[in-house]
Amino acid sequence: MGNAMLDAIMLAATLLFFAAALAYVAGCDRLR
Amino acid sequence: MTANGWAQVLLFLGAVLLVTKPIGLYLTRVFDRRRTWLDPIARPVERLLYRLTRVDETHEMRWTEYGAAMLLFSLVSLVVLYAILRLQARQPWGNPQALGALPPFLAFNTAVSFTTNTNWQAYGGESTVSHLTQMAGLAYHNFVSAAVGIALAVAFVRGIARRESQTIGNFWVDLTRAWLWVLLPLCLAGALVLVSQGVVQNLRPYDRALLVDPQTVTTTDGDGRKTTGMVTGQVIAQGPVASQEIIKELGTNGGGFFNANSAHPFENPTPLTNFLEMIAIFALAAGLVYMLGEMTGSRRHGWMVWAAMAFLFLAGVTTTYWAESRGNPLLTADQHSAAGAPGGNMEGKEVRFGIPGSVLFATVTTDASCGAVNAMHDSFTPLGGMVPLVNIMLGEVIFGGVGAGLYGMLVFVILAVFIAGLMVGRTPEYLGKKIEAYDVQMSMLAVLVFPLTVLLLTGISAVSPSFGTPAISNPGPHGLSQVLYAFVSGAGNNGSAFGGLGANTPWYNTAIGIAMLAGRFLFIIPMLAVAGNLAGKKRVPPSPGTFPVTTPLFAALLVSVILIVGALTFFPALSLGPILEHLMMGAGRSFGG
Repeated sequence: MGNAMLDAIMLAATLLFFAAALAYVAGCDRLR
Repeated sequence: MTANGWAQVLLFLGAVLLVTKPIGLYLTRVFDRRRTWLDPIARPVERLLYRLTRVDETHEMRWTEYGAAMLLFSLVSLVVLYAILRLQARQPWGNPQALGALPPFLAFNTAVSFTTNTNWQAYGGESTVSHLTQMAGLAYHNFVSAAVGIALAVAFVRGIARRESQTIGNFWVDLTRAWLWVLLPLCLAGALVLVSQGVVQNLRPYDRALLVDPQTVTTTDGDGRKTTGMVTGQVIAQGPVASQEIIKELGTNGGGFFNANSAHPFENPTPLTNFLEMIAIFALAAGLVYMLGEMTGSRRHGWMVWAAMAFLFLAGVTTTYWAESRGNPLLTADQHSAAGAPGGNMEGKEVRFGIPGSVLFATVTTDASCGAVNAMHDSFTPLGGMVPLVNIMLGEVIFGGVGAGLYGMLVFVILAVFIAGLMVGRTPEYLGKKIEAYDVQMSMLAVLVFPLTVLLLTGISAVSPSFGTPAISNPGPHGLSQVLYAFVSGAGNNGSAFGGLGANTPWYNTAIGIAMLAGRFLFIIPMLAVAGNLAGKKRVPPSPGTFPVTTPLFAALLVSVILIVGALTFFPALSLGPILEHLMMGAGRSFGG
């Protein structure tokens, strides 16, 4: 796998994690 | 163990005690936005920054907005660092050694590591990253990730202190004030002190010294091919070390300019710098505990939390000091200390620091989420090496990382108060706030993410012969300790390496990267939820059923809860690693090769 592909995967995975974390914020708020 | 060694331990704790109140009072003034002596310089810079970034400093945030701002800031910082690392070869300036780009897996691991205040280093500093990367990429993160930690701790304390409020402050203001009023001035002064002791600060290319006595050296490459050659010179790395060294400790980051970290004479040249660097690791965390007491109007509570931390610190350093002074019973040589011989287990330790200076540093760096090292934890005796591991497993709440230590400890305080409430059969209260189901649910979510991450990833690595176990350099229980330590250090955002694990592989770079992200952000979010919920509550007057949080009994309960939650969660893993290794050593069995 080329480095450009790996860069794209790393970036996508990072964005996905932070999107999930933002959803976690909303989820914790809704639990209250 | 020597009187000199104990004197160093007690002198250190005394110095931390001395700086606690002045730093705590200063932090309180800064975050209460009261006037400080730095205002004439810092306030105009702060106003300019807000104007440029269009931040309304009077705007107050709910916990969700505060958390979202923190997440977005961290995401952007992470991506920028990843780009710096991947584009290193194209830097127009500040790369005198012409170092190339980091590969994607290593760049991901490093970018996550510095964003999360972990500073786990799967790379060798002086052989991998340029001066510009060190300064603009890594040192920048040392400042802002520490400032994020401080901001979050302040937000939590506000949540406790405020009454019937929907907000816990403004993330951008807290972040700015943390680095502009606190970290930057302290680092300017601290870096100059380090330079006075011999820590280097320059932008020169590396020096090359000719060896007086050339050596014939045989090396083995990755494919097992041996090469023999004559070594006639040594490269001596240079760079802007002092400016990075001080924030490394003060911000409890821990990422060394050099691969040898604080064992390198250019990072930590004298016993005095060793002492000052350790104080720098604890200073802000101790001050934040005092700030807790000041802001909540209960100084005695602040001191009781401080006392619980100090007790756990002393317990850890005593155990490590005893274990390392005792040496290795499998060796037949005399290991007693004598004039000119430190005795005990000196493997992997710097002679200029000796056993006390090494075990104290190891305890301090893992009590806090620092991760700087001045000795090889992998070379400690099994029990001596277990203490740094356990310190991180307890959540690094023994003074802890800047900010992270306090908010981690406050989660344990909520649990301690909840348990006390269960014992007396009353609704638990904490400083006049009723602790209800939501607070405990969120606290447990925060507490559980760390062991879940660590045990899952360690388990996968320990049973995977294709990508997990080949990185282990020691057979037997010590090998498990290496893997366990790596994930504990990553998820705990400590960053110290046990050593011995060849962790620069696609699996470990990715898995430890995930552990660092989970350990940082999935802990912070429920913790902020508790802060936001507490802020909205009324303050109720103390009643006969209130468990006082200003007494030694509270400190003892807090210590018990930390030990039960933290240590027992990991006891099975510990018993397969360092405890088994210790027992086998006592029975005359070692696992070397």
